[in-house]
Amino acid sequence: MPNVFAVSVFFICFRECLETSIIVSVLLAFLKQTLGPEHDAAVRKKLVKQVWLGVGLGIFICLCIGAGVIATFYTAGKSSFESAENIWEGAFGILASIIITIMGAALLRVSKLQDKWRVKITKLLEDKDSKLPIRGRFKTWGEKYAMFLLPFVTVLREGIEAVLFIAGVGLGLPATSFPLAVICGLGVGALVGVLIYKGANRTSLQVFLVVSTCFLYLVAAGLFSRGVWNLEENAWVKLAGEGAAEAGSGPGSYDIRKIVWHVNCCSPDDNGDGGWGVFNSLFGWQNSATYGSVISYNLYWLIVIVGFLYMGYKERSARAAVSSDEVPSDSSSGHGESAGKKHEGVATSAAVREVSG
Amino acid sequence: MAISLSSFLISLCLLPAVIADVVVYDFDVSWVYANPDGLANRPVMGINGKWPVPPIVVTKGDQVVVNLKNSLGNESTSLHFHGLYQNGTNHMDGPVGVTQCTVPPGNSFTYNFTVDQPGTYWYHSHNKGQYPDGLRGPFIVNDPESPHKNLYDEEIVLTFSDWYHDFMNELLAGFISISNPSGAEPVPDSSLVNETRDLSVKIEPGKTYLFRIINMGAFAAQYVWFEDHSMSIVEVDGIYTEPTDADMLYIAAAQRYSVLITAKNSTDANFAFVGSMDQDLFDVVPDGLNPNVTGWLVYDDNMDLPEPKEIAEFEPFDDFTLVPDDQEGIYDHVDHSVELTMKMDNLDDGANYAFFNDVTYVSPKVPTLYTVLSTGPNATNPAIYGSNTNQIVLAAGEVVEIILNNDDPGKHPFHLHGHAFQVVYRSDEEAGAYDASVTPSSSFPSTPMRRDTLLVHPNGNIVIRFRADNPGVWLFHCHIEWHVASGLVATVIEDPLGLQKQLNGNIPADHLANCAAGSVPTAGNAAGNTEDLLDLSGENTSPGKIPAGFTARGIVALVFSILAAFIGVAVIAVYGMSEVKNKTH
Repeated sequence: MPNVFAVSVFFICFRECLETSIIVSVLLAFLKQTLGPEHDAAVRKKLVKQVWLGVGLGIFICLCIGAGVIATFYTAGKSSFESAENIWEGAFGILASIIITIMGAALLRVSKLQDKWRVKITKLLEDKDSKLPIRGRFKTWGEKYAMFLLPFVTVLREGIEAVLFIAGVGLGLPATSFPLAVICGLGVGALVGVLIYKGANRTSLQVFLVVSTCFLYLVAAGLFSRGVWNLEENAWVKLAGEGAAEAGSGPGSYDIRKIVWHVNCCSPDDNGDGGWGVFNSLFGWQNSATYGSVISYNLYWLIVIVGFLYMGYKERSARAAVSSDEVPSDSSSGHGESAGKKHEGVATSAAVREVSG
Repeated sequence: MAISLSSFLISLCLLPAVIADVVVYDFDVSWVYANPDGLANRPVMGINGKWPVPPIVVTKGDQVVVNLKNSLGNESTSLHFHGLYQNGTNHMDGPVGVTQCTVPPGNSFTYNFTVDQPGTYWYHSHNKGQYPDGLRGPFIVNDPESPHKNLYDEEIVLTFSDWYHDFMNELLAGFISISNPSGAEPVPDSSLVNETRDLSVKIEPGKTYLFRIINMGAFAAQYVWFEDHSMSIVEVDGIYTEPTDADMLYIAAAQRYSVLITAKNSTDANFAFVGSMDQDLFDVVPDGLNPNVTGWLVYDDNMDLPEPKEIAEFEPFDDFTLVPDDQEGIYDHVDHSVELTMKMDNLDDGANYAFFNDVTYVSPKVPTLYTVLSTGPNATNPAIYGSNTNQIVLAAGEVVEIILNNDDPGKHPFHLHGHAFQVVYRSDEEAGAYDASVTPSSSFPSTPMRRDTLLVHPNGNIVIRFRADNPGVWLFHCHIEWHVASGLVATVIEDPLGLQKQLNGNIPADHLANCAAGSVPTAGNAAGNTEDLLDLSGENTSPGKIPAGFTARGIVALVFSILAAFIGVAVIAVYGMSEVKNKTH
C-alpha cells in the first residue's frame, strides 16, 4: 500500500489544490460579478479563458518542476542521498510537519481563505482602478492579461510550494507511491473547490474539511515523531553499522537503550508488512518506539491542542468584542452575506468598490 | 628456557623412550614485540622473552611439569593443554573459572600431569579469549609404538592460524557490545603458518614426511593443500586412523591432522602449499584481506618458489568418513542423551550472545571443580552449579550422547575437554534439528571417527557419543574464541563423586593461592554459598532477556500517544465546526 499511495503526499496535494481552486473560484465569481450579462459576452468568455489558461499553464509548469525534482532525486541523487538517508528523512520530516501544521489550520477557515484571496485580488485590480478610467480598463497589456497572470502566478506559487512539501515528506518513499497520491489529492482538492464555488451545503463541506484536516494533523504528528525517530536511527546506524541494517525488525535493528517498546514484527520498513507502512505514514507507527519518538509525538499534540484552544479563544473573544459593539464591521457583514448567498457574495467587497469607483 | 634438555632431544630424535621421563618446562609469560606477517609490529604474549612460543614435545608416558609464571603485568592468564584427557588430573586442565582460578600478574601456577596418549595437540591460554594474542603452541606427544611409525622418515609440525593486529581484550570489548548487535566477529587481518608467512620447508627427495598440522587460530578454519602432493591422513586430534588419502583438508579452529606426504624423487621444482581461511565465516570480507598464507616444499634452495596456482573451488576431505585405527566400535547403547540447541541472540544490554538451550554461559563465582569438591553428596545436583553454566552432570561409566542442533547459519567447531568422542552423525547444512526417526542410530557407522573438535555445518546437527570414564569438569564449547566469550559453552560435570575421591585434598597450594590472590572463593555453590547450596543469590548471571513485545512502559506510552491524538483531533474538530456555528449565528 505505501508503495502505491503516499498518504502524506495526497494531503499536501489536496491542500494546495484546494487553495488553487479557491483562487480560481474567487476570480470566476469576480468576473461573473463585474461582467454580468449586461456586459459583452465575448469579453467575458475571453477573460474566463484567460483564467483557465493561467491555471492550466501554472499547473503544467508545477507538474514539470515536480517531475523534474522527483526524477533527479530518484536517479542521480538517490545514491549520494542514501548515505545520509536518515538525516534527510528526519530533517525534512520535521520541516514538513511544521509546515503542514501551520497551513493546516487555514483549511478549517475556508471562508477566511476566500476572504484572503478576495482582498488580494481586489487590491491588485484596485491599483489599476486608481490609474485608469473604467472604460479603458482592459486595454493595456497588463490589463489585458491580468486574468491570465493572476491565476498563473498564484498557481505557480502554490504549486512550487506543494512540490517542495512533497519532496520533503516523500523523501525515502518509493517513486511508485507518488502518482496515485498526487492525482487523488489534486482531484479531491479541485472537487472541493468546485463545491465551494457552486455553493454546496456549508455544514457538510465543513465536516469534510474538518475530517481531512484531522487526518492532516495525524499525518503531521506522525511525520514529526518519525523525523525525530529517523535522526535517532541515524545515530544508531552510525554506532552499530552494518549490523543495524542487517537485523531487519529483530533484535539489533534498534538501540535498546532508547526503546520504549519494540515488537519483532510490524516494521514499516519491511516490504512484506505492507499494512504497517500505511499505519506509519498515517500515524507515524514504529515497531521500535524510542523515548524521542514517543515524547515528540505527544509534545506535538500538546502544542497543537494548545494552539487550537488559543485560536478558538481569540476568535471567541474577538466575536464577543464585536457583538458588544453592536456595530457590524465590514468583514462580518461580508461573512454573513457569503454564508447566505454564495453566488453573489463571493466578490461582494470588490463589487462594492467598483460601484463606489 | 629451562626445558629438560635430554628429554627434549630424545623426543625430537624419536628414540624409543622406554623410561617415562619427567619433562619440565619453565614458562615465563610476558609481552614481547613481533611482526609475524610483516604488516604490523605489535606486542604479543611470548614465553621466556621469545615469540613464537616453544613447542612442548614429549613422549607418551612422560610426566609433564609446566611452571607458569605470569609476567604480563596487565593481564591474568592460564594454560590449557588441548586434547589431553587429564585423567586423574582434572585440576590441570586449565580453563579459568572451571578447573582453576585465573593466574594474576606476578603469580605462578604449576601444571603437573602425565601424558598417556600419543598424537598432535596444542596448548594455549584458556582465559578471556587471549590466546590469539600469541600464547599458543604445539604440544606433540611422540609414540614409540605408533602403528604408522614405519611409514615415514621425518616429521614436521605445521601450525596455521588467523592473525589479528589488535589486542583480543579490545576486540572482545567491541564484539560483545551494543555497537555490534548482529554479533559480527572481528575479521582477521592476515594468516600465518608456523607463526610467519612464506615459510620454506626443506624436503629431501624420496623421503616420506609426517606433517602434524594444527589450526591454532581464533576463528578462521583453514583449507590446506599441497600442490602436486597427495596426503594420507593417519591421525585426527590424537586418534590414529586408517591411512586415508586426501587432496585438501578443512581444518577448523583447534583441529589437528597428521598426514603422510611422500616427497618426489626429483629436485626439479619446489612446490607451494597453501592455507586458505574460510571466508564464509566472515561477516564482511574487508578490502585487501589476503585469506591465504603460502609455504613451500623446498627440494632445492636454488630453485624458484612458485606462486601457488589458482584453484577452481574448495573440495575438502570429509573427516566423517575416517575410521579409527583401533577399530573401536560404536557405543550402541546410550545411557544418557543430551540435546543442545545453539543459537545467537541479543540480550537486554543490546549485545549479541550465544546460547545453548536459551542459556548463555557465564563463569560462576566459584570454579566449578571447586564446587564439586566442596559440596559432598550435593555435587550430583545440577542446580548448585548455577543458572548460567549449562551444566550437564554425568554418572560414572554411562555412555553419553550429545545431540547438538545448530540453529545458526554459521559453522562452529565444537570441542569437548577430557575426551575424544565418537562422531556418530553429522548432517549436511540446513538439515535442521536431528531427528532420530529420519536418521536412526542403525544408520550410524559401526566404527565411527573419533576426535576432540568437530565441525557442525550451518543450521545442521551433530551427534557424538563417549563413555563417562574420566571424572572431571570438562567444558564443551565452540572453539571460535569469539563464541567462547559470547557464551557458547556448556559444563560437563562427569562423575562428581568419583572426582571428589580423586582430588579432594589434592588441589595444590599454588592453585588455591592464585584464587586467594584474586579473592575468588574456592568452596560452595556457583554463587559461593557454602551454607545453603541451593541458594544461588549473588551468582554471576547474564544480562536479561529482551521482552518479546509490549512492556508496561510501552503500553503506557502507546496509550498516552493514542489519547493525545484523540484529544488533538477532538480539539481540531471543535475548532473547525465552530466556523459553521459562527456563520449561522
